[in-house]
Amino acid sequence: MAVTATTAAAGPSSLTSRTGAAAVTAVLVLIVTGLAAVDITQGTAAVGAPEVWRALTGRAEAGDASVVIASRLPRMAAGLFVGAVLGMAGAALQAVSRNVLASPDTLAVNAGSYFGLGLLAVSGVSLPLLASSGVAFVGGLAAAAVVLGLSGLGAGTVRLVLAGSALTLGLSAITEGLLLLFPQQTDGIFRWNQGSIAQHGFDGILQMAPIGLIALVGLLLLARRVDALALGDDAARGLGVPVRSTRVTAVVLAALLSTAAVTLAGPVGFVGMCAPALVRPLARRIRGFTRSRASLPVAGLTGAALVLGSDVLLRAFVRSDVAVAVPTGVVTSLVGAVFLIVMAIRVKDTAGAAAVDRLRIRSRAVFLTTTAVLVAVLVGVILAAVLLGDTKLLLGDVLNWAQGRAGRTITFVLDTRVPRILAALLAGAALALAGTLVQAVTRNPLAEPGILGVSGGAALGAVLLVTTVPLAGSWSVAGAAFAGAALSSVIVFGLAARGGFQQNRLVLVGFGVATASAALVSLLIILTDPFNATKALTWLSGSTYGRTLPDVVPLAIVLALGLVIAVARRTELDLVSLDEDTPRLLGLSLGRGRFGFLLIGVLLSATAVAAAGTIGFVGLVAPHAARALVGRQHARVVPVAVLLGAVLVCTADLVGRTVIAPAQLGAGLMTAVIGTPYFLHLLVRSRR
Amino acid sequence: MRRLLLTAAAATVAALTLTACGTTEPAADDAKKTAEPLVLTDASGAKVELAGPAKKVVGTEWNVVESLISLGVEPVGVADVKGYKTWNTAVPLKNEPKDIGTRGEPSMDTIASLKPDLVIATSDLPPAALEQLRKVAPVLEVRPGDAADPIGQMTKNLDLIAQATGTTEQSGKLKQAFQTKLDAGRKALADAGKAGAPYAFADGYVVSNQVSIRPYTSGSLIGGVNEKLGLKNAWTVQGDPAYGLATSDVEGLTKLGDVEFAYIGNDGDKDSNPFAGVLAQDKVWTSLPFVQKGNVNRLPDGIWMFGGTESMNKYIDSVVAALTK
Repeated sequence: MAVTATTAAAGPSSLTSRTGAAAVTAVLVLIVTGLAAVDITQGTAAVGAPEVWRALTGRAEAGDASVVIASRLPRMAAGLFVGAVLGMAGAALQAVSRNVLASPDTLAVNAGSYFGLGLLAVSGVSLPLLASSGVAFVGGLAAAAVVLGLSGLGAGTVRLVLAGSALTLGLSAITEGLLLLFPQQTDGIFRWNQGSIAQHGFDGILQMAPIGLIALVGLLLLARRVDALALGDDAARGLGVPVRSTRVTAVVLAALLSTAAVTLAGPVGFVGMCAPALVRPLARRIRGFTRSRASLPVAGLTGAALVLGSDVLLRAFVRSDVAVAVPTGVVTSLVGAVFLIVMAIRVKDTAGAAAVDRLRIRSRAVFLTTTAVLVAVLVGVILAAVLLGDTKLLLGDVLNWAQGRAGRTITFVLDTRVPRILAALLAGAALALAGTLVQAVTRNPLAEPGILGVSGGAALGAVLLVTTVPLAGSWSVAGAAFAGAALSSVIVFGLAARGGFQQNRLVLVGFGVATASAALVSLLIILTDPFNATKALTWLSGSTYGRTLPDVVPLAIVLALGLVIAVARRTELDLVSLDEDTPRLLGLSLGRGRFGFLLIGVLLSATAVAAAGTIGFVGLVAPHAARALVGRQHARVVPVAVLLGAVLVCTADLVGRTVIAPAQLGAGLMTAVIGTPYFLHLLVRSRR
Repeated sequence: MRRLLLTAAAATVAALTLTACGTTEPAADDAKKTAEPLVLTDASGAKVELAGPAKKVVGTEWNVVESLISLGVEPVGVADVKGYKTWNTAVPLKNEPKDIGTRGEPSMDTIASLKPDLVIATSDLPPAALEQLRKVAPVLEVRPGDAADPIGQMTKNLDLIAQATGTTEQSGKLKQAFQTKLDAGRKALADAGKAGAPYAFADGYVVSNQVSIRPYTSGSLIGGVNEKLGLKNAWTVQGDPAYGLATSDVEGLTKLGDVEFAYIGNDGDKDSNPFAGVLAQDKVWTSLPFVQKGNVNRLPDGIWMFGGTESMNKYIDSVVAALTK
């Protein structure tokens, strides 16, 4: 979708276009002013519209006036600033990359900045705001460079979003891990991850405003060249525009803009993507807006309206003292996720046909040795997991335990350790199998339950049940997880199926659903159990803490069922994963088979989530690595992928349990740290 | 990848040989039972059977740990020892207990390796984790707090812990001392004309450049003590059902009006004291009536706001001293 590529306005229409543009801008200014006015009247203090009016006209009591001046106005200003800056950054990034989905979030700029800030916080060095925003800038810029480098400028829309989102996941996993290692205030974990515009005083805004202003002026100066880029690189070069330096400068300036926002308010999600997207339909009507010089400020205004609107909405619907605890970023993430989904459905899939991995055909001997080696590794990992931990054991201890003659301590240690190991093993295996099935059915090497939002839906279902029925048993949690997973997969697959089940649309819609469900899970936990960071962690990033054998039973049963079906119908899997036509020619009914495999995939991921929370990337990494090792035949891929998945999660759990013992990290954090580079590697490879 | 896998496999074989068949603990033999068995009913309604008064006790929450120390029982395992030492100096640890990990996810392994007679945990732990702990040792589950009767819950927990450790005599003394302290404090405040004075206690955190404030409503332990002291809790926000804590921001303080304000920060945790830090420049804060009148009282560090009788005794002393100065 070449959005900015419409030719510039010319001739007679330019006059009407100018008045139109002015009218639209005026309306936007009115909306933003209105929202800003409402925002000032909301808050925890008993300062409503009449008091604000009196304060602004200088007739209020000192207390009310100070609330308006030192709390409400700064918050409103921060909302304006953050929204405007993010909107403009998004508009600039979309213009230079000619990509409607580029934004500070999808380029991982936000996550990179926040990672920088997290490192800084952990190092214990306390820097002034400006200096710390320098650190955030470096982080954000580095992340953007990685994503753009991996995906290529102006190349695939989807690749960019995928690389950025994956890097975002990985970086936030590391940041979260850092926070856990230094758990001064576990209470702050949510607010660390999702931005909030509350301020005390104007200091922060006044320090950040110059940065925003400099970047904005720079972008406006660059606007003409950026517009030329819309014509295509060659045409731009023909006009004498230095393509490369224009891009680099614009990206640096955009990174600077979003850094200012992140330093002030934390990562407020998706505004940078939504704001320019809202402006785009206007650009089609009113030609003035096709020029960056006009569209940048309008995108800024729209961004401000989005952030202030989210804040107003939140404070209008949630009790004021609860609203304080809910970061604005949760609301914008929800809004943004819906947006991402809508965009994904409308965007044209440029990636075209499935990027079939060019794989060597492996011999049977290769498969057998790989499997044998993997089994040995799995045994090794299991042994290590059983023996290592806070209490180091020896094999004789385990032998005694197995025969029921172990001493008290050993019995206790193994009684608690073994279910955790089983949960990790089975969850890894189940996610890998689910990934294999989903990838086969969708013929999409990037599809997996975590990325497709199925795991997120499962977590949402489970958390809903756990918060409403505190003493829910393992079967009912698994059931609730399945209901959530089923619902989210109906949404994802349903929406992606519209318009022909496009290759990457599925993944984008899935990303949207995954983001939305993560935001909803955060929201639920903040509203019902604000002081329970452990619970949040379990469901948001996966943890095997406190698992008992009964918790693992549903997972074991579903995994066994899934394996039997996958092995029994391996040839059908091979055919389904091949292409659209071959199975039909062979007289196979595609629809029912696909549905069956998907259903099992959903069941598997739901039970895995119920047993160990959301663990991402396993379903992606394991099947892919399996195909690379033993070829495409499912008779071989399934066992190898399942073994790999089990090894991966079990290792992650082992590392998480032992490195900072007796404290611990969730398995999900570790797999994200391992999975992100792999995902990026896959993206790079599939570009060739 | 292939080479990596092979190496891992080889390492497995090597590890197997190395760890083969040693044991770190001799096989079980029959335990001898001597003391009089005890049967208690804990907060979950479960019957907890003990062979006798517990001697080797592990505590997963700091309030439980404080109660143990006050009762003269030195815990063998404590969650987040460093944190306890930072936040609870009113009742310092007398021994060097083993650190069992975080309060949210204490390590089962470490607890088991301590071979405790008894684990005292709060229902803040996930039910599944409590279930696992029950396999490690008898678990006495206590409610972390009860906003409907915070002091009652504290003494109920103290009594339960005392029964389990055979220290009921000491718990009687502690309760007696606490009551005496309350009465004396109430009288001192009344004498100073502070009976029924509006009073607000809070703590606060600076998280990524933003200040969050936690009001202690009348359902909190501190709030309960305040009422017994004859002070009027000025918070109107609603707290959570267990700890009686609410969430607010600087603006929320404007609803307090003209009150006596008190807080506990911690010099060991630089982000825990916004009141003397970032708020000094904040116009909302500086224009609050109690700030302008100088009625902001920083109580001494190290009084654990969710602790037991001894922390509360120290709290009473410091409040009375602050308000009657």
